[in-house]
Amino acid sequence: MHGASAISGIGESNYYGWGKSPHTEFQLACTAIQRAVEDAGLDLADVDGFVSYTDQRNLPTRLARALGVRELRWVATTWPGGGNSVAAAVQLADAAVSAGYAHNVVVFRAIAQGQYGRFGLPGPAVGGGDGPYMSGPFAWNGTYGVLTPAQQCALRTSRFMHDHGISQEALCDVSLACYANAQRNPRALRYGQPLTREKYHASRWIVTPFHLYDCCPENDGAAACVVTSSERARDLRNRPASIVAAAQGIGPGFGVFTPDDLASSHYRQVAEHLWNDAGMRPEDVDVAQFYENFTGPVLIALCEMGFTSPENVEKFVSDGALVGPDAKLPFNTAGGNLGEAYIHGFELINESVRQIRGESTCQVSGVERALVVGGPGYAPGSALLLGAPA
Amino acid sequence: MTRILGENWALPGLDDRNRAFFTSGVLTLQRCQSCSHVQHPPEDLCTSCQGTAFEEFKSAGRGRIESVAVVHHPVHPALADHVPYAIVLVSVADAPGILITGNVVGTAPEAVKIGAEVRVIFEEATDPSDGQVFQIPQWEIVA
Repeated sequence: MHGASAISGIGESNYYGWGKSPHTEFQLACTAIQRAVEDAGLDLADVDGFVSYTDQRNLPTRLARALGVRELRWVATTWPGGGNSVAAAVQLADAAVSAGYAHNVVVFRAIAQGQYGRFGLPGPAVGGGDGPYMSGPFAWNGTYGVLTPAQQCALRTSRFMHDHGISQEALCDVSLACYANAQRNPRALRYGQPLTREKYHASRWIVTPFHLYDCCPENDGAAACVVTSSERARDLRNRPASIVAAAQGIGPGFGVFTPDDLASSHYRQVAEHLWNDAGMRPEDVDVAQFYENFTGPVLIALCEMGFTSPENVEKFVSDGALVGPDAKLPFNTAGGNLGEAYIHGFELINESVRQIRGESTCQVSGVERALVVGGPGYAPGSALLLGAPA
Repeated sequence: MTRILGENWALPGLDDRNRAFFTSGVLTLQRCQSCSHVQHPPEDLCTSCQGTAFEEFKSAGRGRIESVAVVHHPVHPALADHVPYAIVLVSVADAPGILITGNVVGTAPEAVKIGAEVRVIFEEATDPSDGQVFQIPQWEIVA
C-alpha cells in the first residue's frame, strides 16, 4: 500500500485465437510465470506466493511442483466472479508483501477457452443451459433466456443509454480505440486487422446494444507479474512499477438487478476509496486501462471513476479522443481485451507496467501514474493505480 | 399460451423458494412476516430487517419496463429458432425496489421500449418427465 510494494516483473505467453494454442492452459500459465520471474531477475525458487482470481484452474500446488518453487508462504484468490477482480488480485499480493507474509508473489491469469469453453457460458455443471432445468439462482434469469454476461451487461447499458441520451456511436468509439491501439502492438491478436466505423455497424448483433465488435473475443493465453517490496525491486533487473493504491468495492444492493444499481458499473465505491487512498484525482492519471468485457459498461465505468459525466461521456470518447499515445485520455494502449487479447484483463496490468517503464508500443510520454480499472458490471469492482518509482 | 422461447427450452428447477412463482398462476413474491418488506429473488434473510420468517405476497402484476435488450445470438442450440427475443427487467407497482426478469409477449422485440407499462401474463408448460404444470410469469405491454 502506498508504494511499499511494486510490480518488478511481467510476462506473458504468446496469445492465440480460440482453440489455436498448441500448449495446454497449464503450460501457458507456466510460461507466463517463468517469463515474469525472469523479467524481474529472480529465480523460480525465490517465488513464495501465488495469487489469482475467479475460477483459476491451475492450482498453486501443481504450479509449485512443476516450476521448482521451494516453498509457498502465501496463496490466495478472490471470490468467484470474473474480470472484475483483476486489480483485486494484485491488491492481495500487495497486502501480503506489504505485511511481510511473503516476499516474491506471482499474480497470474491463464485462460484457454478453446480447451475449457467460453467463460461465462452456463453449462450443466452450474444447472443452467445444457441441463433440462434452470435451478437455484439460474431459474430467475435462465428460464427467460438470460444466460450470459453479454446479456446482463446489455440490460445495464441499455438503461444507461436511455437515461442519458447516449448513441451507438459512443460504444463504437470505445471499440475503435481498442482496435486502433492494437495496430501498434505485434502481440495483439487483432494486429493487422483494423476496424472501421462502417465495419462495426455492419457487424451482426449479439444482443442489443452490442454488435460483435462490442464484445470481448474468445482466445487462449496467460499473463503474470511479480510483486515484491519496493526496496527489493530497486535492486532487480527492470524499472519497478510502484503500487500506489488499490481498491475493491461492493455497495448496497449489488449482486442482483435492483432499480438503484441497474445502470451501474459498480465503480462508485472503488473510485472513492482509490482516489482518497492515493490522494489523487482522475486528472493525475497519465494513461488508463479499462477492462472491456463489453464496450457499454466501459462508458459507465469512465463516469463512475470520475473521468467524465453521463451527460458528457459520448463527447468524451468521440473524435478519436481515446486513440494513440497523444490521446486526450490515453486508453487501452496495447489494445485491451478487444484488441490485444482477452486474458481476463491481466494484459491490462502488464501494459500499465510497460507504460511506467517506457516500453509500450503506444508509449505515452513521461508516464508517472497508470490506472487499471477491472471488469465493470460485476461486484466487487477493483482498480489499481501504479506509479513511477520514488 | 405456448412458451415464447419454445417448448424445448429449459424449465425452472422447482424448489421451495420458487414453486409458487413458477406454478401458481399469480405473481407471487417473498414478503417478510416481521416488516412486510417484499424482496426478489427470495433470500434466506429479510434484507431490510434480517428476519427469517416469510409469507407469500400476491402482486397485482402491473409494472413498468425498466430495461430491455434484444437477444440475436442464440447461445444455446435450443434457442436458435427463437431469436430475436426481448429480455426485460420489470418493476412492479405494488412492490417497489425490485426488478423481475422476463420476456415480452405479443410485441415485436424491437418495439419493446423502456418505460412501457406492462401486466403479467402466464405461459403454461408441462414437464414431460413428471407431468408438473408450470405457469411461468411473462409480460404484456398495455400502454
